[in-house]
Amino acid sequence: MIYEAAIGQDFPVAETSAATDEAVRFRRRDPAALTAAVARYQHRLYRYLLRLVHEPATADDLFQQTWLHVARQIHHYNPSRSFDAWLFAIAHNAAMDVLRRRPGESLDDPDPSAPWDAAGLATQPDALALLITAERSAIVAAEVANLPAVYREALTLRFEDGMKLQEMAEVTRAPLSTVKSRVQRALECLRHNLTARWRKEDLL
Amino acid sequence: MTPHEATRPLLALSVAGLLDPEGERQVREHVSECPECAAALGGLAALAAGLSALPSPKPPAALLARTQARAAAQLAASRDRRSGKLLALAGCVCGWVVSLATWSAWDAFGANPALLIWLEFSMVLGGVTAAAVIRRRRRLERSMS
Repeated sequence: MIYEAAIGQDFPVAETSAATDEAVRFRRRDPAALTAAVARYQHRLYRYLLRLVHEPATADDLFQQTWLHVARQIHHYNPSRSFDAWLFAIAHNAAMDVLRRRPGESLDDPDPSAPWDAAGLATQPDALALLITAERSAIVAAEVANLPAVYREALTLRFEDGMKLQEMAEVTRAPLSTVKSRVQRALECLRHNLTARWRKEDLL
Repeated sequence: MTPHEATRPLLALSVAGLLDPEGERQVREHVSECPECAAALGGLAALAAGLSALPSPKPPAALLARTQARAAAQLAASRDRRSGKLLALAGCVCGWVVSLATWSAWDAFGANPALLIWLEFSMVLGGVTAAAVIRRRRRLERSMS
């Protein structure tokens, strides 16, 4: 069953002890640790920023801006906390500043009474299965890009970065209940949009 | 609220792995009896699997090298600022000690030209050191911009 297969799989592990050791050396202003940290986080951080802002040039700028800020403020990092959450919180702030200035982009949580409420969840489950089995990930990625910023962020942090709820709350500076609600509603919204836009026949 | 209505909002949280054991048990029990929710859960689980398997965009090759170089310069500047602060603190302490010593010597030996020369020398040395530190920092900041 698809459900069991998906539940059985682990989402990507967010942080390793090597990364934590590296962060501690970095805090002592070890340049080699900084170089290693930038290389280690390049894919995850760039992906997170690109999912949020869409434009590669803006993501490039934010990527650099984030690491410059990290290098400047590394003495504020508390090694007993997650380096991932600290790093992504800095990136989050930088990205939100950009999105706040962008016309038409809302950073508020969407209205919970939107038409993609959980009531319609059971429609066309097969179409969703096709989306992942028939190499339609570009369609999923495009639909994710159409979601509100807070939903895009919730999905990428949870499913692509494998962050825990607590870490997500630290990154977004939101209460745990808000983070949970965003993940839930983002998934339901994405599912609604996909099934509404892509009929099963279109995917065959 | 029926069990069906109570369980429906938990389906997405279940596939996201964000439910506590009690919520997870509630979902499993309900979907074993409700084909509609079982189908919805299957769809959401497929979506969750699809999301975690999305192709990851690769950062441009030059971005990594450029960021590492600029961040390393920033880290060096930050280290330099810290050592500059320590140096300034050490200078203050030295100045304070020299002042106290001069004061005591002045009291003990009266007006002495050698003491005045030593005082002047200490002040000039302190000024030259401070200027060297400021110049080095400015050069570093220019190289980063």
